[in-house]
Amino acid sequence: MKLTIPDAFGRVSMSAGAPRSRAVRFVRRLWRKTSIAGLAVYALALGALLGLASADWATSGGYPFGGVQVGAWTAWPRAGAANADPYTRAVNARRGEIPLAVGEGLLLTAAVDDAGQALDATCTYRIGGATPPARAWTITVAGRGPRDPGRAPLREGFTSTEVLRAPDGWFSIVLAPDVQPGNWLPSPRATGPVRLALRLYDTPVAASVGSLDRSSVPAVTRLGCAS
Amino acid sequence: MRLVSLRFVYATLIGLVLAGIVHIAAVLAIPALSEADAVSRARTSENLDHPQSIYTVATGDDPSPPEAWLPIPDPAVAVGVCAYNLADGPMRVSARTGPLSLSLAAHARRGAFYAVTDQAAVRGALDLVILTRAQYDEALADDDENDPSRDVRIVAPDTRGFVVVRVIAGLPSQRPAANAAVQAVSCTTDTSTDDAPTGKDAAVKDAPGKDGPGKGTGR
Repeated sequence: MKLTIPDAFGRVSMSAGAPRSRAVRFVRRLWRKTSIAGLAVYALALGALLGLASADWATSGGYPFGGVQVGAWTAWPRAGAANADPYTRAVNARRGEIPLAVGEGLLLTAAVDDAGQALDATCTYRIGGATPPARAWTITVAGRGPRDPGRAPLREGFTSTEVLRAPDGWFSIVLAPDVQPGNWLPSPRATGPVRLALRLYDTPVAASVGSLDRSSVPAVTRLGCAS
Repeated sequence: MRLVSLRFVYATLIGLVLAGIVHIAAVLAIPALSEADAVSRARTSENLDHPQSIYTVATGDDPSPPEAWLPIPDPAVAVGVCAYNLADGPMRVSARTGPLSLSLAAHARRGAFYAVTDQAAVRGALDLVILTRAQYDEALADDDENDPSRDVRIVAPDTRGFVVVRVIAGLPSQRPAANAAVQAVSCTTDTSTDDAPTGKDAAVKDAPGKDGPGKGTGR
C-alpha cells in the first residue's frame, strides 16, 4: 500500500534528492495545480487498494461470520450450505476446503478455553464431558500453519469409538505436552496457539444449532502451564 | 488552499466508497475466479469411474498422503471426490454400505446442495443420480410405469461440481478399510438416456470394488 499510494503523486517523492526548500515549493505548486484528474487518480487508487486489501484480509483466515458460540466452541452450521454467506464461500474457495454439508455433520472449533483464555501448546487442558448426539465424532488438535517436520506424528485426535470412557459413559481427554495417563492428546507443537476441532458426523444438531448449550459440548478446562 | 483540501477530502471520501464497492465485488468474485477451490481441483477426476482420493487416512507406516489438499483434514476420515460435468450426461454414484459409516454430499460452486449418509441406503445400496433439470424431465418421461426407477434423482444447480465421499474409520485398524471403501464407490456418467446398459455397466464396475474392503489392502 505504501508503495502505490504515492503513485498518484509519483514525481513528488522522486524529487526528494533536491534541496529541501525547493522540494517544498515544488510540492506546494503541484498541490495547488492538482487537477481534477489527479484527484480522480488518487480516489481510484485508494479505492482499488483499500478494497482489494480488505477483501484479501477478510477472506484469508477463518470464516469471518456465521459462527454460533457454544461455551468455548464455535459451531459453523452454514459453512457448507448452498446459502452460505459470500465471505464463507470465498474462504472455502481460497482454501480449497470441502466443508461438511448440513446432512453430513457439523464442525465446531475452539481457540479458547472455557475461561476465555487462548489455547496454548505449552499448557495442559482437560477436554471432557458430553457431546451432542451424533453417530460418530472426532476431536482433533492442530497448530497454526504447516506441521513441524521434526516432530514425530503421535496422535492428532480421538474418535468417539476409540476414546477411553469412564463407567458413566463420559470421557476426559488431556491435551498436554507431556505423556499423560488415559486419553492423552499430545500438543501438536512446542509453543504457540493451538486450535481444537470437534466434528460431529451424521448429527441432528446440524440443522438446529440453537439447541446446543454449554452443557452439551465438551468443557475445555485449563489445568496448568509449563512456564 | 482551503478549496484544494476540501477537494482532497471529497476525493478521499469517493475513494473510500469505491473501496467498499471493490471489496464487495472482490469477495463475490473470488469463488468464481478461484483456481484453488475444490470444484477446480476436483476436475482432474472427471474421467475416473471411482472417486479420486483427496485424503487417505494414515495407515501404519505411511503417514503423509501426498494428494491431500484439504487444509485441515480429519485424520480419521477418508475423503474422495468424483467430479461431474453434466454436459456429458447425468452422473450416477453407487455405493454399497459396509461396516463403516459413509456419507455422500453433492457440491456445486455455491456449496453443498445434497447430502446423504448410508443410513438412507435401501438394501445396502445407495444410488444417486445427479442431473440437470432438462435431464431430469427426460428421465421422468422415460420412466417405465410398471418398473419405476429406484434411483435418488437430484437436480444440480450447475453443470459442474463434485460429489464427496467420506468414510469414517472409528479405530486405527479400520483405516485401510476406510480408504478402500472410498475407492469402492463408483461414479459413472450415464451416457445414453435408457438405463439398461448403464445399469449393467455400473454393476460390472461395482464387482471389483466390493472385493476391496474385504482384502483390506488399502488400495
